[in-house]
Amino acid sequence: MRPFRLYEPTTINETVATLSELGDDGKLYAGGTELLLAMKTGLLQYDGLVNVKTVPELEGVSYSNGTLTIGARATHSTVEHSADVLAHAPLIASVEHRVANVRVRNVGTVVGNLCFAEPHSDPGALLLLYEAEVDIASPSGTRSVSVEQLVVGPYETSLAGDELVTRVRVPLLPNGMRGAYLKFGYHHRPTLGVGAAVSVTDGKFLDVRLTLGSAPPKPTRMRDAEAVLRGAAVDDPAVAIEAGRIAAEGCDAIDDLHGSAEYKRHLVQVFVQRALAEAVERGVK
Amino acid sequence: MTQQEFNTVGQSVRRIDSYDKISGRAVYSVDVVVPGMAYAKLVPSPLPHALIKSIDASKARALPGVYAVLTAAELVNMETHYGSDKKDRPIVAMNKVRFQGEPVAAVAAVDLATAEAAAELVEVEYEALSAASDLTSALLPDAEPIHDSNYCHEYGYEWGDVDAAFAGCDRIFEDTFLFPMVYHYAMEPHTCVVSYEHDRIRTWTSAQHPFLVRAELARIFGMQLDQVQVVVPYVGGGYGSKSYTKIEPLVAALSREAGRPVRLAQSVEESMKTVRRHAARATIRTGVMNDGTFVARECLSYVDTGGYTDNGVRVTERISDRIVGPYIFDNVRVKSYGIYTNSTPAGSFRSIGGPQASWACESQTDIIAEALGIDPIQLRLKNLAKKGDEVRRGKRPLEGDLAPKLQMVLDKFGWDNYVREDPSPTVKRGIGFACNVTNSGASPTSTSLVRFHADGSSTVYIGTTEIGQGSRSVMAQIAAEELRIPLASIKVIGSDTDAVPYDRSTGSSRSTTLMGLAVHDAAVDVREQLLEIAAKHFETFADQIEAADGKATFKGESMTFGALVREMFGGSGGELMGRGYVTQNHASGRLTQDPVFWEVSIGAAEVEVDEDTGTVKLLRYVSASDPGKAINPKQVEGQDEGAAMQAIGHSMFEEMLFEDGQFLNPNLVDYRVPTFEDLPGEFETVLIEFGDGPGPYGSKGVGEGGIVCVAPAIANAIFNATGVRLRELPLTPERVWRAIEKSKQ
Ligand SMILES: Cc1cc2nc3c(=O)[nH]c(=O)nc-3n(C[C@H](O)[C@H](O)[C@H](O)COP(=O)(O)OP(=O)(O)OC[C@H]3O[C@@H](n4cnc5c(N)ncnc54)[C@H](O)[C@@H]3O)c2cc1C
Repeated sequence: MRPFRLYEPTTINETVATLSELGDDGKLYAGGTELLLAMKTGLLQYDGLVNVKTVPELEGVSYSNGTLTIGARATHSTVEHSADVLAHAPLIASVEHRVANVRVRNVGTVVGNLCFAEPHSDPGALLLLYEAEVDIASPSGTRSVSVEQLVVGPYETSLAGDELVTRVRVPLLPNGMRGAYLKFGYHHRPTLGVGAAVSVTDGKFLDVRLTLGSAPPKPTRMRDAEAVLRGAAVDDPAVAIEAGRIAAEGCDAIDDLHGSAEYKRHLVQVFVQRALAEAVERGVK
Repeated sequence: MTQQEFNTVGQSVRRIDSYDKISGRAVYSVDVVVPGMAYAKLVPSPLPHALIKSIDASKARALPGVYAVLTAAELVNMETHYGSDKKDRPIVAMNKVRFQGEPVAAVAAVDLATAEAAAELVEVEYEALSAASDLTSALLPDAEPIHDSNYCHEYGYEWGDVDAAFAGCDRIFEDTFLFPMVYHYAMEPHTCVVSYEHDRIRTWTSAQHPFLVRAELARIFGMQLDQVQVVVPYVGGGYGSKSYTKIEPLVAALSREAGRPVRLAQSVEESMKTVRRHAARATIRTGVMNDGTFVARECLSYVDTGGYTDNGVRVTERISDRIVGPYIFDNVRVKSYGIYTNSTPAGSFRSIGGPQASWACESQTDIIAEALGIDPIQLRLKNLAKKGDEVRRGKRPLEGDLAPKLQMVLDKFGWDNYVREDPSPTVKRGIGFACNVTNSGASPTSTSLVRFHADGSSTVYIGTTEIGQGSRSVMAQIAAEELRIPLASIKVIGSDTDAVPYDRSTGSSRSTTLMGLAVHDAAVDVREQLLEIAAKHFETFADQIEAADGKATFKGESMTFGALVREMFGGSGGELMGRGYVTQNHASGRLTQDPVFWEVSIGAAEVEVDEDTGTVKLLRYVSASDPGKAINPKQVEGQDEGAAMQAIGHSMFEEMLFEDGQFLNPNLVDYRVPTFEDLPGEFETVLIEFGDGPGPYGSKGVGEGGIVCVAPAIANAIFNATGVRLRELPLTPERVWRAIEKSKQ
């Protein structure tokens, strides 16, 4: 790996100012589990890395008023074991528990995962289920976007070079809504992730959110599939099959090391049904 | 000798290297620092097949801190090529590159960052040639030849009247099976430090076969064996990937060029471009009678040896030796070819040709059983070789009956009482079985030296490489047993060719059997000398004296071994030396035939298949290890389970993927090796100890057997669960799903 300089700012302002100064030659550095791998292979090269882990403001996970906040420094392990997450959104803790392996979870951050925008990832599809948003700081101020808008494609976000994601805000699922997230794959990284959140009244789907990750180029909300479910009978298997079919058709899968596009679309079909069934079952319990 | 008489043999004593390894004191090649040492970086070819038009290293050489750049132009006054059977590998690419990642040049610099920067400055101009990175494309008539032709080696044998036998049998089965290219993934990548000096070469390297590396370096640089020193510190796993000679000649040539010691520590990614296992395509034709009697077998195999031969000659031979299976056929015709392709060269890998052969023959055994309506176990038992049978005509007969060994595995598994319970209509369970015997490739050439000190302790010298298999502990146990001293009084000195006597290699499951005999004999030699001294002291005959617990005793009077040594030298010091020579003509008479022993492999699996996704879960696996006598039972189990676990990789998901010569998954994120999550739900090893091996105490080798039968056992279980037969590894969910979908049509 080519030598680089490591900057260790202690405030958000200093961080974005350093980033801005470095321009294309600099990059933010959190756990490094993506960045350093890419730099070791020579795929990416930077003269300066700006460490977010030295900025106290970016630390931690907290909860207030129906919203979980995940700071930019929070690792997968921090989220997995956070008392707030376990109490208010145990689904997030259980998904985080199955991200990568314990070594990666102990250093890799949720925000770093989102910002690298590697399609084969869990947090994107999971956080879409919660309609989560990120707060962004730059030398010219702050702004917020949804996770859906943050990730625009493989390895591509809507962030400018001098922007820093300071935190993810995760509103809890509305009352009565229950979520499930299923992942599939035999590589280190997931081949497919499907999120489903449903509320049910009188045996019918009242509200539904369906999200898809890893198979499509970016985490995706499957609104067409959601539409056929709303108002439909929960125990009608044909509806879930139809939702799965629509999701599969709408999934922009590609052939890669994880499998053919055809197989991935088949998996989408299978796992949309399974995730829906699991979400419904959780609602019943 | 009955079992009760053993002291440490047969006990799972704690490994003698455990403190070193747990405390971090253990030295590996990467820890070696030689004063003045430079750091090396390779310049790999980005193209899989190309002519080298020119190399311009001037910018790299001009970079401050660079000591030397090695290219083909510098390979003068030396042999330029190396290789175990065929010397077809240039030390750095000459005129042509044959696989992606082949070193075209190498840089030595003051530090790694400088070496890396300089490597990028080496300008190479290529003329691309069309690349063939699989058997099919390399065998096309118009394929661009990689060497003089794309055929590396040819092998075969025949007995009986094969054509007449096929004509006379009731049914003929023909099936083709594919086995993928896989990587060993030893945790320690290849690492080597060489100091080339005008009158000697000193080498520290992660090599399994230090004496073969020594011979190769001596030949290349025109030195005598005594001028070349090869030290092998602890090795972080080998599995064959560090067999023979790998990066040592390149590092030595670079050191000569730089005029100082040089270290090359490869990354995993670089090691994946250094060596791999042979992919294979095997077609088996089997003629049988309706009652299940095996009559004739014909096999045609191709193994993909990549850009260079490496161990391709032996692998081509071994797949043919192992593909007939553990059965008796009166008519056999077997042929195999080693083929060059534009991919990482393929070398030794735990049981060369064994898993490829068994994948084919043991899958087909179940295909035949199904077609004839015979129980697969009964079909095997009907045709199984017995003690004294020549499974391969002209080779060593089997040393023991196989049927009782199979039965031990079936009993442990609960095969006969298996009740299938499918969790759901689309999630199905099933069981599968496979077995084989493999001819160990071990050559009986080992020597050992045992020094016995004046305080009753002893130092044992062995050329066996400690690659994690626990050889040092086992050798210490054998020495302690024969010297009649406690294990704690033994120190084992490992591979340093300047210090330890010759051992051919560490591989082919050979060390306990062959080096074990050498250590045994050397220790007995010392004991006999001690008894002679004691006989003089007590004024009696040696056979009147009892040697036990570090003492010689005669008529109730004892003298410690240390005192005997001191008495002989007439002072406070001195030492005895014992030697052990293992050759074909070893006094035991058990090493005259080839192979030295047959390694037994047996496996039974239970799987659960999710038909909606194609996911296969390995619920249970029972493996057998047949050490004859387990000198350290826990280590035997470790070898067996480690081997089976490694096989789960090539069975379920491991595969090096190449497209037009481009290596698509050259790292451990994209290339999936098994982890603890992939352990079978229940995982057991049955130890078979019938004392029927040629090694000390009736022992024989076990390092490889566990890897041989996993894939066919799993595929047979998948068939049992779903009715779907898979003929291509690995059994990825997509492949299984596709096969299930196809069967529905
Ligand atoms: C073996 C392995 C297995 C894995 N398995 C999974 C899995 O199963 N599921 C899954 O979802 N993921 C998986 N991953 C990915 C893992 O989750 C990510 O590597 C990790 O979360 C990235 O976080 P990091 O802190 O290390 O990011 P870094 O590598 O430090 O940074 C990644 C990118 O994000 C940018 N960045 C970091 N912080 C910020 C910020 N605050 N604002 C703006 N940009 C920022 C960096 O500049 C960089 O471009 C796996 C990774 C490995 C190595």
